[in-house]
Order: sequence, then structure tokens, then C-alpha cells
Amino acid sequence: MLANEVLVIDGLVVQFGGLRAIDDFSLSLTEGELLGLIGPNGSGKTTLFNATTGVVPAAAGSIRFKDTELIGLPSNKIATLGISRTFQNIRIFPRMTVLQNVALAIHRIPLYSVWEAFLRTKKVVEADRKVEAEAYEFLEALGLQDYAKREAGTLPYGLQRKVEIARALATRPSLLLLDEPAAGMNDQECVQLQELIQEIHDKYKLSTILIEHHMTVVAAVCKRVVVLNLGKMLAQGSVRDVQSDPRVIQAYLGERRSRYA
Amino acid sequence: MRYLLGVASVAGISMLATMGMVILTGYTGLFSVGHAGFMAIGAYTSAILVMRFNVPFLLALVAGGLLATLCSLLIGHTSLRGRMRGDYFAIAMLGFGESIRLILANTKPVIGGAMGLPGIPQKTTFWHVLVIDIIALILVRNYVKSQWGRNSIAVREQEVAAMMMGVDVAKVKIWALAISAFFVGCSGGLWAFFMTYLQPAQFSQTRSSDLLASVVFGGMNSITGPAIASFFLAFVPELLREVAKWRLVAYGAVFVIIMIVRPQGLFGYKDIGFEHINKILGKLGLKRRRYADVSQ
Amino acid sequence: MDRFAQQAVTGLSIGSIYALLAVGYALIFSIFNFSNFAFGSSMMIGAYAAYYALKSPSIPTWAAIILSLLIGAASSAIIERVAYRPLRVRNSPKLFLMITAIGVNLLLVQSVVVVIGGEYRALPLPSRLGVISLGRVNIAINDLLAAAVSGVSLLALWTFLEKTRLGRAIRACSYDMSTASLMGIPVDLIAFLVFAISGFLAAVSGVFCAQKYAVSPYVGDISNKAFIASVLGGLGSLPGAVVGGLLLGFVETMISGFVSSLYRDLFSYSLLVIALVFFPQGMFGKDVRESL
Repeated sequence: MLANEVLVIDGLVVQFGGLRAIDDFSLSLTEGELLGLIGPNGSGKTTLFNATTGVVPAAAGSIRFKDTELIGLPSNKIATLGISRTFQNIRIFPRMTVLQNVALAIHRIPLYSVWEAFLRTKKVVEADRKVEAEAYEFLEALGLQDYAKREAGTLPYGLQRKVEIARALATRPSLLLLDEPAAGMNDQECVQLQELIQEIHDKYKLSTILIEHHMTVVAAVCKRVVVLNLGKMLAQGSVRDVQSDPRVIQAYLGERRSRYA
Repeated sequence: MRYLLGVASVAGISMLATMGMVILTGYTGLFSVGHAGFMAIGAYTSAILVMRFNVPFLLALVAGGLLATLCSLLIGHTSLRGRMRGDYFAIAMLGFGESIRLILANTKPVIGGAMGLPGIPQKTTFWHVLVIDIIALILVRNYVKSQWGRNSIAVREQEVAAMMMGVDVAKVKIWALAISAFFVGCSGGLWAFFMTYLQPAQFSQTRSSDLLASVVFGGMNSITGPAIASFFLAFVPELLREVAKWRLVAYGAVFVIIMIVRPQGLFGYKDIGFEHINKILGKLGLKRRRYADVSQ
Repeated sequence: MDRFAQQAVTGLSIGSIYALLAVGYALIFSIFNFSNFAFGSSMMIGAYAAYYALKSPSIPTWAAIILSLLIGAASSAIIERVAYRPLRVRNSPKLFLMITAIGVNLLLVQSVVVVIGGEYRALPLPSRLGVISLGRVNIAINDLLAAAVSGVSLLALWTFLEKTRLGRAIRACSYDMSTASLMGIPVDLIAFLVFAISGFLAAVSGVFCAQKYAVSPYVGDISNKAFIASVLGGLGSLPGAVVGGLLLGFVETMISGFVSSLYRDLFSYSLLVIALVFFPQGMFGKDVRESL
């Protein structure tokens, strides 16, 4: 692993029964890079995230994050190593407040023991206060501070997305995996989102992999994209290069064709 | 009066056990119909410690609770680790409850087998129950407010999302089980010294369902709901002697109805705090002006 | 050696009952992804239906048995319709389903206790139909019948699931209910069938257990063994349920015959703990993890 590489995937194979969802895939991500991951539906993009975060087991290959092998580790361990992800279908906690959702990311490993919690010592009260303050900071960074006490499930879809991103940020990750954050958004919301992603990337210097179907967002923020098709890397390069690659066009057209067949 | 205090003691003992179930089921979302096993362990252990080894009453209670906790660790580490589905835990607890009852029923020396253990000194007083209940309420409230409590809620609401965020789900669940075992075990001890005799039949699966009932009726994500429910449910058999035999039938029916109509229970997701009390007092015209501003 | 063979035969017969029960439980588990803890109540209903049907002078024995099995099946389907479906369509959390299941069990079992009474009764069938001798081993015909009926039932079920369109539709549902319903498979009909079959299997076991032991409101407690057998075989696996049930019954009877019958149940629960520690995925390797 090179010194500035934060994620190195080598020969990854993920198998579901007879289906090879990921077929000998390799990738290297440099620190601070904002990589786009695109491809037709079912090409394995989310599966790649799932394998990286320990949700699905890998049949072969390796995923190294800063010199630590991720394959075989439980999901919560991977998360505490510094990898944070969002989901296609938002998985915030709808009945908790926005503030509580973000605070959860900060105290996912409690800052005190169960015994201290029972006794509610000064240390506990102080730690809770600090966590709340820190959570507020993240809310402010994303302009969500006015919604702090609202039940997260009552927010409009776009704001829920923001809460999810705020929560992912609050874990202070070194690697951020965004799974179709622009899903269900209109053009205007997409522009706001791409600005947000750019802002976050610049401010926190986060290595990021972005799965997206909205090409405008990808083109705006990603210098390099990787195209996935049927679990294999089809092409990689800048958005312009990849968009004019005949194999990529074929893959997407093929998808279109089969959809309307 | 003494009769009333007696019923209140039973209610209070039930409430202590309910606090354990609140953490396990109400806040962490785990399902168990085997907790009577923990109650039995606490009851028999403390009774034997006092009767045979002259251990002081309160110490024996704690010892009983601790032994129950120890047993819970065995179950917890076998069925709550990794991302094991809740069904494994439910089946394991079912088996545990039955196993304890069988062991007790078939062990004659010291324990007395199916005939039971009579002659336990009457040591549980209403004041014991009251003080212990107040302490329990405070402890549970502190837990729920803490980061551990919040993580438990996250595990209950969306276990996978919580795990993906880095919450050690297995640890949270095992702690919840251990805590619930301790509370339920201690309540078993109080029970033993109130009833003055123990029988394995007192700790059947029906008893486990009783423990669960307070949380189902009182509501998830709430402390006061189940606390009130457990109190109420303890008095009901006394008030409705005529139809007492239908009690369990009614419980079963209410379980089903509540899950369909109002799964969050009576007080789900709400706790009665000082703001509510002030509001009620205000409506009754009893609110003192000093507190008028606080409640705004 | 003879004693061994004797116990083995009894063990297999008990094992076949456990297998039936385990399959009934595993069937619902594999399709609906939850544990039907009210399963035992269908056993009980089958047993009591048989009791009253057999006592009635106007119903011939064979009809009484069939009737009680149908009643058992119907009870299970009704439970699904009344108690589980409202939660299923709402995608309620598993916790709520389990609470409902226990509620149903409590309601039905305690109703019998109150209305009919908790005393043990004998099923009005000859408790021993006689004995076949194979060499020096005596095999009770009852045991043989239990094994035979279980075998036939399981074979019929297998044929249904593998060879018929409806059966295949049911199996399709086990992967994804919402997708199945989008594909035009009538989910409510599937639910009715699956629970009816499960109830039927429970009723068969209930009648046998009632005849072997006694008719009691708590005859359904034997279904706990079904849960253990399913874990041993792999939660949700039907072949696993069969093997797990046979194995559990066999080993249980051996322990009971040669060590002590008092510890028979304890042994099974210990086996459960061992399984959970060392091979929770069971013999047929089912995924133990909570679904995404």
C-alpha cells in the first residue's frame, strides 16, 4: 500500500449463491480523493459498499483501509476504524430528534461506563453536554440547527438526507461512502447537494466515494470516476472520458434495451 | 391497612422486575419469555443464603441478583453475539426459563424439589420495597438518559443502521440482558421473603408473560408507563376476585389487541415528568404561582 | 443390545413427531421470517378437538381424527388472519409479532384451562394398539404409526412444495414477500395455506402426543422441542428441521432410557446452548444474522 492510499481493493469477489455480484474488482483510492462510482442498475455498486462495510462477506480478494484488512471484520468495528456510509433508502432514526440522531454518531461508543451512567456522575453530565454541543456544531455546519428538536421522521425528504450526511460526518470518518444521496431529488436540490458535497470535501478533506446516477452531480464534484458493470470495472477516468467510452455507452444502452424489451 | 400494604408490596416487587423488563424490552427491544428463570434464581439464592448461611437480608438480595446476572451472561454471549437474530435469543430464554424450573423441581436437597421451600422468614416490608423501588426508578431513568440508553434505543429502532454507525450492538444487548437479570433477580429475592415459601411452579412461563405484560401495556420507550401498568396489574386480581381466573386469558387478548391497535402501549414514548404534573395541578387550580413560569 | 434397539425405535418415533413439529415451525419461519410462538396452541386445539370428536358417539373414529386435524389447521389459519396479518401488512417490527404470538398462546391455552379445566384426560383411543415383535425387539404399533404418519405427511408436504405450482409459489415467497406479491402471487392465499399446513402438522403431533401422554392444555409445550430441533438443523431449513427433529428425539430418548428420564428435557436445553455456542447456523448452515 502506498503512503497516500487510503483504500485499496484487490481482486474482490462477492458471491450470492450462483451470482457473482462483484467479479475480481480492484481499486485504489488516494487520500482526500472524491471518487465517483457509476454504472447501470444492478452492476454491484451498493454491493461494493456493503462488502467494504462488512455487511456482506467476500468470497475472495482483499479490502485494505490504511493497512488494515477489512474483510472479516464486523460492521461496527469497520465503522469505528473511520469509515462512514449513507444508504440509498435513508436510515436515520425517525422517532429520535435530529439532534439525537447526530449525537448518536458521536457517542456510538459511550464516553463513560454503564456504572457511571447509572449514577449519573458529574462526569456523565459533562460528557452528555459536550456531545450535545458537538452535535449542534455539525447541525450548524449543514444548516440544520433550527430542526434540532424536531423528530427526524417528520422532516421533508431532502432535509432527512442532510441529517443522514450530518450524522455520517459526526463520526469523524476518514472515508465517506455516499450511496446515491441525490436519489429522488429534483434539479434544484441536486445543485444544492453537489455544493454541499463539494463543501464537505473541501472543509473536512475527506476521502469520499460517491455512488450516483445523476451525472450532473458526479461531473461537478468528481475528478475521477470508476464505471462498474456486472461486478467488474468497465472503465475509469475523468467523467468526460468515461462518458464517451463506447463500452460504457454500450453498457448503459444495454440496460435501457433490456428494460424496455 | 396491613392488607393494603401487602398488596402494595406485591405491586412494588412487580414494579422492580418491570424496571428490568423496561430496559430489556422497552428500550433495547429484546423479547424474552424466560425471565421467570432469573426471578427464581434470585428468590431461591437469597432464601438459602439467609436461611442456611445467615447472610444479612439485603446482602442476600444482591447476591441473588448477581447470580442471576451471571447466568444471563451465559445466555447473552451465546445468543446475542454477532448479528444473531432475535429468534435465537427468544428460544434460548424460553429454554432457560424451563430449565431453571426443571432443575428446581427435580432437586430435593436444600431446594425442596417440586414441593418447594417453606419457612422463609418474613423480612420484606413495604418500606424495603418502597425504597428499593425509588432507587430502581432513579437508576433506570439515569440509564435511559445516558449515552448507553440512547444506544439501546438505536438498537431497538434500527439495529443494522446502529451497527453500521459503529454501535457495538452485541455489547449493548448483553448489558441490557445483564441489567434486566439483576433487577428481576432482586425482585425474586424480595418476593421470597414476602411470600415466605417458594415453589418452582411460581416461576413458570406464565410468570414470564406477566413480567412482559407491564411493558406491553405500559408502553415501549417509557419508564412511567410500565411502572404504572405494573402497579395497576398487581391490584387488578385483588379488585376483580370474581373474574380472577380469566386474568391470563385477558392478558393474552390484550397483548394481541394492543399490538394491532396501539403497539406503543398506553404511555409509549411518553414519560410523565414534572412538566406534566404541573400542567395537571394547574388545571386543578392547585398550581402555586411560584411554578407558574417554569411550566410555560 | 436389545434395550438399545428398543430405545432406538421409540426414539425414532418421538423423533418423527419432533420432525413434524419442527417442519411446521420452520415452514412459517422460512416464508414469513418470524417465530410463531403460538404454534403450540394448534397442537392443543388438535388434541382437544380429537378428544371431543372421539368421545362423540355419532362420529366414526377415522372421521374424528380427520376432523380434529382440519380444526387444527383451521385454527392456525385463523390465528394468522386475525392476529398476524394486521402486523404483517404494516411491516411491524419482529418484536411486535413475537409479543402477539405469546399473547395468542396465552389467550388460547388459558381459555382452555378456565373453560375446560386443566386436568389431564386420556384420549378415547386404545393407548396401546399392540406390539409387533422383530426378533427380541418389541415395537409398539403406536410408535410405528407415529413414524409412518409423520413420514407420509412430510413426503406429501415435500411433493406439494417441489412438484406443484402452488408449492413453488410458496417457496418463491420465502425469498421476498413484497417481490412475490408484485409478481402476482396472492400473498394472503399463501399465508392461509402455509399456516394451515403448519397447523395441520401441529394437530397431527398434538393428537399423537395426547394419545402417548395425555390431553392437557399444556400439550403445546412440547413445541419448545420443535424450536430447538429447528436451531439444530438450521433455523428456517425444512430438511434441517426433519433431521434436527429426528436427531433430537433419538438422542433424548437414549439419554432418558440409559441415564435418567428426569434430565431428558434439561439435556435438550443444554444441547440448544451447545448448538448456539458452536454451530448456531445449524446442520444445514442457515444464515444466523438479522436481515438487512
